[in-house]
Amino acid sequence: MSGFEPICEKCEERLQPYLDRELSETERLEAEVHLEECEYCGKRYRFEISLRRYVRSACCSEEMSPELKAKLANLRIAD
Amino acid sequence: MAEAETDARRLATEARDRVRFEEEALELADQVFRVARRLVPSREEAEDLVQETYARAFRSWRSYTPGTNLRAWLMRILTNLNIDRGRREQRAPDTQPMEEGDYFLYNRLEEATGADDEERIVERLSQDSIVEALSNVPHDFRDAIVLVDIGDFSYQEAAQILDVPIGTVMSRLHRGRRVLKSELAEAAVGDES
Repeated sequence: MSGFEPICEKCEERLQPYLDRELSETERLEAEVHLEECEYCGKRYRFEISLRRYVRSACCSEEMSPELKAKLANLRIAD
Repeated sequence: MAEAETDARRLATEARDRVRFEEEALELADQVFRVARRLVPSREEAEDLVQETYARAFRSWRSYTPGTNLRAWLMRILTNLNIDRGRREQRAPDTQPMEEGDYFLYNRLEEATGADDEERIVERLSQDSIVEALSNVPHDFRDAIVLVDIGDFSYQEAAQILDVPIGTVMSRLHRGRRVLKSELAEAAVGDES
């Protein structure tokens, strides 16, 4: 399989629940059988995994300033 | 005499618990800041929000139950403060977020670049465009993405922090990720077709 078949549509629907481990055992196996033989869907699943990693690193690139850290420590009530 | 001694011991225990609470809370500050930074539009606002969160947390430390999830407890204070202060940016009420299927972004990038290597295609997106696209996602969806995908909170924790049912977190997360991908597609290849 190389193009967009009806089963690929179902696979597209299952992309997020699959990666989030929300599928039932049967659904998961069904998805895996399809992914093994369908390069079209396989690429898109691998892309999603890379994208999630990339989003996380892009969105976590700003660090807290040492000034803010010092301010927070000064808010402590105990001594 | 014996009573005064018990009181003194109780105070000492409380002081020690409090110091421990404050130290543990401060150790989480980097993680709290990272999440805060993506919940509000500017760095300054994120810094203010984190300060207010810690000020409130230190004042109300007694309401924290030791042994429970402190990071989620802090985050709940933070999201409540964020809502109370009306810091969320105002969005035009009638903008319906664009939401395509989950393959949409890949398809658009593949079309536009002619590349079909998924690693290379992901690199076509700049870090800035991702941050920008996330800020364009409606806040209900975005909060779910920020807590789960960036803050590493479980659905259950995110549901408690946002005070919504777990099913709502999941549907906001799924829809939010699709909106995010539509926004990224638009930013990367335009929306002319």
